[in-house]
Amino acid sequence: MIDPGKALILFGIITAVLALFFLPKYGLTDRWKRASRGMQRVLIEDALKHIFDCEYKNIHCTTESIAGTLLIPTDQSAELLTRLATMGLLSTNDNGVHLTADGRSYALRVIRVHRLWERYLADETSVPPTEWHASAELAEHTLTPAETEALAAQIGNPHFDPHGDPIPTPTGEIPPKQGRSLLSLSGGEFAVVTHIEDEPETVFAQLTAQGLYVGMQVMMIERSNERVRFAANGEEIVLAPLLANNLTVAPITEEEPRITAPLSPLSSLSVGDEARVLSISKAMRGHQRRRLMDLGVVPGTVIRAEMKSASGDPTAYNIRGALVALRRQHAEMIFIQKQ
Amino acid sequence: MSKAAQHTSDTDAILATANTLRWEIGDNIHDTLVESIYTDAQRIASRSVTEPDSKPKFSMDRQLDRLITSRWFGFPLMFLMLAVVFWLTVEGANVPSAMIASFLVDTVHPWLRAAFSSLGSPWWFTGLMVDGVWLAMAWVISVMLPPMAIFFPLFTLLEDFGYLPRVAFNMDSLFRRAGAHGKQSLSMVMGFGCNAAGVVATRIIDSPRERLIAIITNNFSLCNGRWPTQILIASIFFGALVPSHLAGLITAGAVVTVAMLGIFFTLAVSWGLSNTVLKGEASAFSLELPPYRPPQLWQTLYTSLIDRTAIVLWRAIIFAAPAGAVIWLVSNIHIGQLSLAEHFIAASDPFGILLGLNGVILLAYIIAIPANEIVIPTVLMLTVLSAKLAGVGDGAGVMFELDDASGVADVLRAGGWTMLTGLNLMLFSLLHNPCSTTIYTIYKETKSVKWTAVASVLPVIMGLVICFLVAQVYRLLA
Repeated sequence: MIDPGKALILFGIITAVLALFFLPKYGLTDRWKRASRGMQRVLIEDALKHIFDCEYKNIHCTTESIAGTLLIPTDQSAELLTRLATMGLLSTNDNGVHLTADGRSYALRVIRVHRLWERYLADETSVPPTEWHASAELAEHTLTPAETEALAAQIGNPHFDPHGDPIPTPTGEIPPKQGRSLLSLSGGEFAVVTHIEDEPETVFAQLTAQGLYVGMQVMMIERSNERVRFAANGEEIVLAPLLANNLTVAPITEEEPRITAPLSPLSSLSVGDEARVLSISKAMRGHQRRRLMDLGVVPGTVIRAEMKSASGDPTAYNIRGALVALRRQHAEMIFIQKQ
Repeated sequence: MSKAAQHTSDTDAILATANTLRWEIGDNIHDTLVESIYTDAQRIASRSVTEPDSKPKFSMDRQLDRLITSRWFGFPLMFLMLAVVFWLTVEGANVPSAMIASFLVDTVHPWLRAAFSSLGSPWWFTGLMVDGVWLAMAWVISVMLPPMAIFFPLFTLLEDFGYLPRVAFNMDSLFRRAGAHGKQSLSMVMGFGCNAAGVVATRIIDSPRERLIAIITNNFSLCNGRWPTQILIASIFFGALVPSHLAGLITAGAVVTVAMLGIFFTLAVSWGLSNTVLKGEASAFSLELPPYRPPQLWQTLYTSLIDRTAIVLWRAIIFAAPAGAVIWLVSNIHIGQLSLAEHFIAASDPFGILLGLNGVILLAYIIAIPANEIVIPTVLMLTVLSAKLAGVGDGAGVMFELDDASGVADVLRAGGWTMLTGLNLMLFSLLHNPCSTTIYTIYKETKSVKWTAVASVLPVIMGLVICFLVAQVYRLLA
């Protein structure tokens, strides 16, 4: 029989080797998956996407900016541009590089997959928001056109991705860029967040950590070169201008009620009290949102908190005569008007 | 312009308008639709439905709810209820189990043997059908039927009354932290009766991710088929360590510890799954608490009794009978001097010993995949066979059980069992693949080979690793 000490050491070695290969994120399999992004086709598609993005936002696109986005050396980036031009996807003139019709349609196909995948992750899975973009970066190069259309049909042919970007149609149509930066608002002006830039990842993570999401109402309080103070759904938020510039807003309609004080969430309702539902936060998506609406949680519904669980969470609410328990994390995303 | 061309250009214009409009509609269309449906429904209802002013029954429900979900009484009440259900099951099942066993094994089995041989059946056919198939079926029925017939009606009564949704309500925060649904507490407890029934019970969980978690982890609930093994082994290897008046307590303590370990693994594996492979599944939570209703006592008792009996018999015939045949065959087909079973035991023994188990246990768990109830009889028969013990048991391929634990202990010690073997058998009995009925049920419920494979293989790997680690640590310390 093997000596128990040696057996344990052997076991430790086997575990370490398995971990080396299969550990999520740090393991060799995952590293290899990420490394395969450096392949030629992936580089071409990423470059096209970047150039399209520049044209869409009216920014000047250079060999350096491509190298920076794709994390490749500048000379390789220049080589890549030449290659794209010989493939007929790119034309160069005095103002810089431009996509040809073919290049544009190719870029839109890739972007369609990317944004559909993000929407799918947001609505149909429990993958956290900070991982959507990275996962879509892989999916956009691997999904076949047939798989893409099947996915689109499965999630109900959505028009926007969870960051508020329009999803190109299968025929490559996309509306012109709308909205303006949060920084362009003047003091006291109301607007609605239509887009949160998802690149770079750290910026997006900081913005989501502040509780910002597409569909939130904002009001500018004051703006200086050092900081931007604004109210989001009545709650004051302070950001550096560089961060705030990643938020795109659009004017709100006349009839939309202005939110001037912080909204009270359903979770703040004490047991025995009643309240009327004002709205469900846009941050509640997919299955959970549909479930609540099916239960009859819509603006105007009167909800009564009946009792708390023995462990304090969830709480049971009387919704249209039925007793339904909701977790605090979800009750926080239903806004109410106390009666 | 021709009519056809006119038509096409009109269609194009409409499509073009539709295409520009689709961006303006935005993402609110679904919400707006649902809202307007509710507004309409409310308007119609307010015109045509009148509601009584007072709702006395409703308020009595709330009184009861206040007690059941109270901070102080909620959990003690729940543990008390569960303890009563388990006590009734274990105590109540003893007598009928013994009666069924004595009838099917001690009376019918010899009678069948005599009948077969008087009809001129060759010895191998009698062995295969009577000693193999019949005994396996008899064991499954006698071990499984009485507890099932007591446990599930009690459970159904609690459910009909409306108590179980409140248990899920109270337990949810524990399961939320593990990334699971509070209703999993119910399928988990059902699993203590029968894992196949527990897997079916996960239908009450309506969110895909949480349901898969509940299905995959249900096997960590120690089912009725495994309780007798746990109790027997605990009394031999742990109860015997202390004076006899404490033996019962220590035995019960050891078994409860293993069951608690099962709950721990349920939560730990739920957490692991929800953060890795099941990230890709949708998650949602809502839990309806129906009003309390007086349970329909006789109807529940009658239907559950019929249902459970049907399931147990079906399982005994479809899954246990072939296992019985295999057990008889491997012990009676010889290659050279030794039977297939002895060859396998000799070959796998070093691996088994490394894990703190032995070749007999490994073989028993492989051929008893269809039914955990026959593990102990199979282990005893194989031990006698491979250790060539004289004067015990009924011969090769004939499973048997002994009336007193000390007899079993003598056989096992003669087979080379130590305290470590007993401990690891208890752990392995908790952590191994689900029985084939459960595997089949998991496939039927998930319709996925992948998740069925995960649910079947994951616990075995965990069992092997944990037994191995326990064995090494035990040997280092001993």
